[in-house]
Amino acid sequence: MTGLVQRRPTRPVRWALPGGRAGFAALVACYAVLVAVCLATLAAAGDLSFGRNPWDNLLKTVGDFARPSFLDVWFGPERLEYRSDDGTVLRVENRREVEASFLAAIGRATWVTFQIATLGSLLAALMALPLAMLVARNLSAPRPLAWAAKGVLDVTRAVHTLVFGLILVGIVGLGPTAGVLAIALHSMGTYGKLFAESIESLDMSAVDAVRATGAGPAQVFFHGVWPTVLPQFVSHHLYVWEFNIRDSTILGLIGAGGLGLLISEAVSLFQWSRLATLLIVVVALVVAFDAASRRIREALL
Amino acid sequence: MTAAVHLEAVRVTAGDQVVLDLPQLTISPGERVAIVGPNGAGKSTLLKLIGALVEAQQGRVEVLGRNLSPGGGPAPRVARARASASVCRALRRETGLLMQGLHLVPRLTARENVLIGALGRLEGKEAWRSLLRWYPAACVQEADAALAALGLASRADTRADRLSGGERQKVALARLQLQRPRLVLADEPTSALDPAATQQVCAALMAAVAGPGQTLVTVVHDLDLLPQLATRVIGLAAGRLKWDLAIDDLTPELLQGLYGTGPTTAAQAVSLAPITTVRLARA
Repeated sequence: MTGLVQRRPTRPVRWALPGGRAGFAALVACYAVLVAVCLATLAAAGDLSFGRNPWDNLLKTVGDFARPSFLDVWFGPERLEYRSDDGTVLRVENRREVEASFLAAIGRATWVTFQIATLGSLLAALMALPLAMLVARNLSAPRPLAWAAKGVLDVTRAVHTLVFGLILVGIVGLGPTAGVLAIALHSMGTYGKLFAESIESLDMSAVDAVRATGAGPAQVFFHGVWPTVLPQFVSHHLYVWEFNIRDSTILGLIGAGGLGLLISEAVSLFQWSRLATLLIVVVALVVAFDAASRRIREALL
Repeated sequence: MTAAVHLEAVRVTAGDQVVLDLPQLTISPGERVAIVGPNGAGKSTLLKLIGALVEAQQGRVEVLGRNLSPGGGPAPRVARARASASVCRALRRETGLLMQGLHLVPRLTARENVLIGALGRLEGKEAWRSLLRWYPAACVQEADAALAALGLASRADTRADRLSGGERQKVALARLQLQRPRLVLADEPTSALDPAATQQVCAALMAAVAGPGQTLVTVVHDLDLLPQLATRVIGLAAGRLKWDLAIDDLTPELLQGLYGTGPTTAAQAVSLAPITTVRLARA
């Protein structure tokens, strides 16, 4: 009649593991068998090898990465002379200038990466919000709509950002737009799940209490639902945003702009010292954003 | 003046079990009524029935002049459903509930929680502003005064989830005061409170219904409080009305008989002890 206090009973779990320690032991045994099968089949196919001389390769790689390009240029010679076989100077390069322009390019690419992650996350959050409200069981949306929304969220969550990126580069062309859309489509699934869960964890007895004072539907929403749910939404948003900054550093690999483009260039030209510089930038960016978002999320709780 | 509550031939069932079966019950405006009885007697159900939280399967339920009976008229289904929603909201505005299933909003401050009580009577521009938690100054003053009266002036800006259980109950009570209800329904308002807080809550509850024609219906487990909260006592057992008396006509034997009809537990023996023998100091 009033929708107050009367709750739909939660659906029973359809199947359950055998309870107690025996059940858990069975679960562990299943897992052990799974791992053993994976190892055994790989070994049987002869795919379980570390290559011909892993230690030498490791040392060589570490050596390359230990000399990031900017340090190399800083401490090394300034002039680089390109000579032909008979000793004639073909071209002289000011390495500091070249490195400076490379660092400027990294700066621009970092900004593009940040733009992609930021706009993609916001777009994803906006698209996910209505779907999450349909999915959340305690708001009891019509069942077919809830199923449809859940389907959309599951599909987008299952498809990786890179796959969306490859498809979207084909549709909207190379560049950051494809990156933004790829990030948005994939994170929409993540957002939807997180938002729906925070709506479901809402204290409905507080909402009932607001409704019981005779408040209208909008008042109930803004006084009972919103204050509880908003900090969680912001926290989830920061978390996924942070995640997307990591993700968008890779998107350039498929031509969607940003740092990834420089990474793929450096890899294909075997410029390991430049790759080292790029990785330092990526790590610094991610760590800095992690720290900032953790602070904000802690302050919100 | 119409009755505050009027029940006739009301039957509430859960499955094939009869939870409540009352041939007739009338509560006039301004009365203070306490409902007593053993666990499972239907006390809370009766309170929820009056508060429109539970629907009767049969009979006639009228609260504050509004008909809450099942199938209240010959109107087509949809129209009736709409009418009943608006009737329910109007009724909720005039009915103050103090119940265990109704919490404070955890992230709002004590003052904001109290101000929620005023939401129902804001209109026009004020109602729109209230969505941004922008309340008229008079309401804010009233909220602060209500909190101060309960000794919570210093806690007004504390978030509700950082208050103690007793403080929360007091904030809920202040919210109820701001609602200015014509009918107050309180389900064990002092359970889990220490003696000092119990006295404060009782006093505030009585202050909340001090106006003319304001009615109070409580479910009481602590029989000590009967003289303070009620002028009329209704005894329920197994969903049926056993007696309906003025507080002065109440005898220990009647109470004992009431609690004796159900399965007696240690807790009930304790709650009976004070009125029959000595006051028990509660932890």
